[in-house]
Amino acid sequence: MSMSEEMMGDMLEKYPEKVLKNRKKHITIVDTSQACQQIEANTRTIPGIITQRGCAYAGCKGVVVGPIKDMVHIVHGPVGCSYYAWGTRRNKARADENTPADKVVSTLCVTTDMQESDIVFGGEKKLARMIDEVVEAFHPRAISICATCPVGLIGDDIGAVAKAAQDRHGIQVLSFNCEGYKGVSQSAGHHIANNNLMEHVIGTGPDRDPNDRYVINILGEYNIGGDGWEMERILGDIGYKVNCVLTGDTSILEIKNLHQAHLNLVQCHRSINYIAEMMETKYGTPWLKVNFIGVEATKKTLREMALCFGDEALIQKTEEIIAREEARIMPVIEHYRKICQGKTAFAFVGGSRSHHYMHLLRDLGMEVVVAGYEFAHRDDYEGRQVIPSIKIDADSKNIPELHLTPDAEKFQEAHVHLNMSKEKFDELNKQVPLSYYEGMQPDMKDGEVMIDDCNHHELERMVRTLRPDLVFAGVRDKYFVQKLGVPGKQMHSYDYSGPYAGFNGAMNFARDITNAMTTPAWKLVTAPWEKQNQQ
Amino acid sequence: MTNKPANSTLRVKEVNENQCHMCMPLGGVIAFKGIEGAMVLVHGSQGCSTYMRLANVEHFHEPVDIASSSLNEKQTILGGEKNLNKALDNVLRVYQPTMLGILTTCLAETMGEDMDRMIRAYLQEHPNLGVEIISVATPSYRGTHSEGFWATTRAIIAHYARVCESHNRINVIIPNISPADIREIKRIMGLFGVEYTLIPDFSMTLDRPYGGRYQKIPTGGTSPADVSRMPGAPVTIQFGLTCPDALSPGLYLEQQFGVRLINLPIPIGVDNVDQFIAALSHICGKPVPEQLTLERGWLLDGMADAHKYNAEGRPAIYGEPEMVYALTGVCIENGAEPVVIASGSPHSKLKDLVRPMVSDLAEQPFLIEEADFASIEHAAVSAGATIGVGHSGGKFLTERHGIPVTRVGYPIHDRIGGQRIFSAGYAGTLAFLDRFTNTLLEQKYGSYREKKKDEMALNRVM
Ligand code: SF4
Ligand code: SF4
Repeated sequence: MSMSEEMMGDMLEKYPEKVLKNRKKHITIVDTSQACQQIEANTRTIPGIITQRGCAYAGCKGVVVGPIKDMVHIVHGPVGCSYYAWGTRRNKARADENTPADKVVSTLCVTTDMQESDIVFGGEKKLARMIDEVVEAFHPRAISICATCPVGLIGDDIGAVAKAAQDRHGIQVLSFNCEGYKGVSQSAGHHIANNNLMEHVIGTGPDRDPNDRYVINILGEYNIGGDGWEMERILGDIGYKVNCVLTGDTSILEIKNLHQAHLNLVQCHRSINYIAEMMETKYGTPWLKVNFIGVEATKKTLREMALCFGDEALIQKTEEIIAREEARIMPVIEHYRKICQGKTAFAFVGGSRSHHYMHLLRDLGMEVVVAGYEFAHRDDYEGRQVIPSIKIDADSKNIPELHLTPDAEKFQEAHVHLNMSKEKFDELNKQVPLSYYEGMQPDMKDGEVMIDDCNHHELERMVRTLRPDLVFAGVRDKYFVQKLGVPGKQMHSYDYSGPYAGFNGAMNFARDITNAMTTPAWKLVTAPWEKQNQQ
Repeated sequence: MTNKPANSTLRVKEVNENQCHMCMPLGGVIAFKGIEGAMVLVHGSQGCSTYMRLANVEHFHEPVDIASSSLNEKQTILGGEKNLNKALDNVLRVYQPTMLGILTTCLAETMGEDMDRMIRAYLQEHPNLGVEIISVATPSYRGTHSEGFWATTRAIIAHYARVCESHNRINVIIPNISPADIREIKRIMGLFGVEYTLIPDFSMTLDRPYGGRYQKIPTGGTSPADVSRMPGAPVTIQFGLTCPDALSPGLYLEQQFGVRLINLPIPIGVDNVDQFIAALSHICGKPVPEQLTLERGWLLDGMADAHKYNAEGRPAIYGEPEMVYALTGVCIENGAEPVVIASGSPHSKLKDLVRPMVSDLAEQPFLIEEADFASIEHAAVSAGATIGVGHSGGKFLTERHGIPVTRVGYPIHDRIGGQRIFSAGYAGTLAFLDRFTNTLLEQKYGSYREKKKDEMALNRVM
């Protein structure tokens, strides 16, 4: 069943007039006969509506900065903000040759736990003393300070505290003014984090080793449930050198060396496209939007990557690995596909995943009939070509843009990075969309729905009318969906499962969602005596 | 070890490393959710409310809706009234609650938002709304979720309570305990046949049976009509020994309306349950029902059976002050003398209450207020703790030091069934004790096998 205008009307009818008008702009019933269907996104959430969105701090500390494993991340604010962002995204990290176990400190949850007197008299001194204690206790390679709402208001200068601490201790101390009220969602925090890493960390490591070949970064991969490790496994087998995964299981050392890559892969476009773009400007590094979620999507990504380097041996090796992996996993996928075939799902996650998972679900014969994002921008729905036409509102203006120029020493043309002639590169650009993302819309069919910043009320109405077989959302929405008799799968931290990326991930995912949909409990809901009564 | 100073207290460091407590409005949300027809709005930027939903949903595994006024940068300068009004319009329209609880965040409080004035203005502009609005100031720099829970419960009572004729429905005020424990307390009172108003009753709103129609605001909760009649009650039983006077709902009823307050520990542990049962029996003038005598007997039988294992336990107890107090009693009662007693809350009466309980112990435990897990861990390791007793935050004891944890309290984020953890009453205490003892046994036999293996390996080498 697909959504009609009428159903949409019913759903929105409960709102006051102004809200109804506003929400309508955030919902598109896909009609492929229309050239461009515009959706409103990245605008303010309507107060009092139960949104799925979080705050800028959640995007900065919770998503981008938090996973960097060899830094102590200090949350400057009252206790709750810190507690809530503690390990909730299940970014996995482990010791490796660059970072011994005693340097892995990102699982610590550290806060200034501001008290009333700090609010009244300012918290700078406490923060400074705290940095001293942290250095003494953990000897981290670097420290981050993330500010939460009250800090911005009382005017603590965390930049100055960071600078002084950096001079005092001789380690890098990064400060992020990511107060939760900035912007309209997590998205503002991504941008703040991207800027800071670009300005102060990226490119400060040594230059590239000229003998290295096929060096890549995976940007916007946070290693939830071990996704990044599965990608690294596949890429390693093919012969790529994964220089850095930003920021899943990564270290500040690796981020310093980000400029050493020949090619940037962008997995989560929303949270990291700023760095991809800025690196292109500063170093000339080309970037490719990839998707390792789904068997077909992973294959397409691997093939496009191989084309980027244009090397026959690499192309061949890619096919070999694809064949090897497929032979191994397809019987399993087939088994689950028989069960999943023809079922429908809703997907509302983050700013990129809803699109990624469409591919994996299609591998299993399932269709996403309603898809949306919490904090995406229009380009994540409609494609990057719309960026010039996006209105910059007051909320976005508050996040400073970095205006970069090509680096005098390190800049190279994209084709030089990829070790090919300009002509060949132009040819490649026609085959593979470099520095481009087409958004989710082209992958959606007539009658399917795109919905931005979907709230509790709308989700409930759509579940009731469209009766999907499965709903992907955050844990906050999972349980009420289940009360409506539809299994919910929490896609921020995968319900303690994973990895879901790559070939192994596809198997895990197929197993998990099949279990969710076929769990015998659903058949036992009605008691036998009630069944008799019904007859 | 024995001549450790009488207590080693307080975190001396600035840094709060791995927190043991959460923020003030979070506790307020739970209290509000225990009122019939209630919805909650958090005044601040939306991150707080989204995080609070997360923290509660992961504990209760139930929908926990919390609206936000979604303040942005602009309002931090201009004030949040416009957003608050919009939020009220929307949440009242979509949820149609009969009561709306508003909690402030640190941001709103730092901005100095005048909630009373704004709410009064809104109500004036919208007469006949048919909804009661109760606002509570809950900046986390002033208290933890425990204080937020008490402050909110007190505010709800203060809002509804009216002088009324005396009746014989007793008041029962509970702290943040599990829905399963609330149900047990209600069952016990049912056995006595006593009428009561229990507040806040989130036993059905935050732990719903499957089936029936899904409703945005679930049925259940304390009825406001009953709350309004609390001043006419013969007595208040409050499980809130550690509750600061300024926040104490029971004390409020006593001071404002002269309702006698009987302040008791949470009924977990023989002695603590006895106090509750004795009070009930006295109030109703009825003997203790046979069923409860049986349950007490089963509990004591279990305690006798398990004492030899429990006496070897060296528990580190941590969490919300009220829960920690009760658990300390159970552990001592069972010969498992606590070596660490800790709470993240800086404001409770816990330390003073616990001190006389532990003064006779052979070894003086660490008493830590304003605890974080760095201080708890440090104390637990240096005191040779063999078991943790508390919420899921203590998983670090297991991960880093192999000290197993019996999970109880709030929050439980890494196991299923936090809302069903059953520890109250004689029956609940026995259930708790079995979990506690079996955790020790598992550890014992686990390491027994390891030791045996080592021994055998050694023998082979020799
Ligand atoms: S600002 Fe205050 S209320 Fe909001 S999450 Fe942080 S501690 Fe809690
Ligand atoms: S106070 Fe601000 S930073 Fe902290 S959780 Fe709330 S919105 Fe986010």
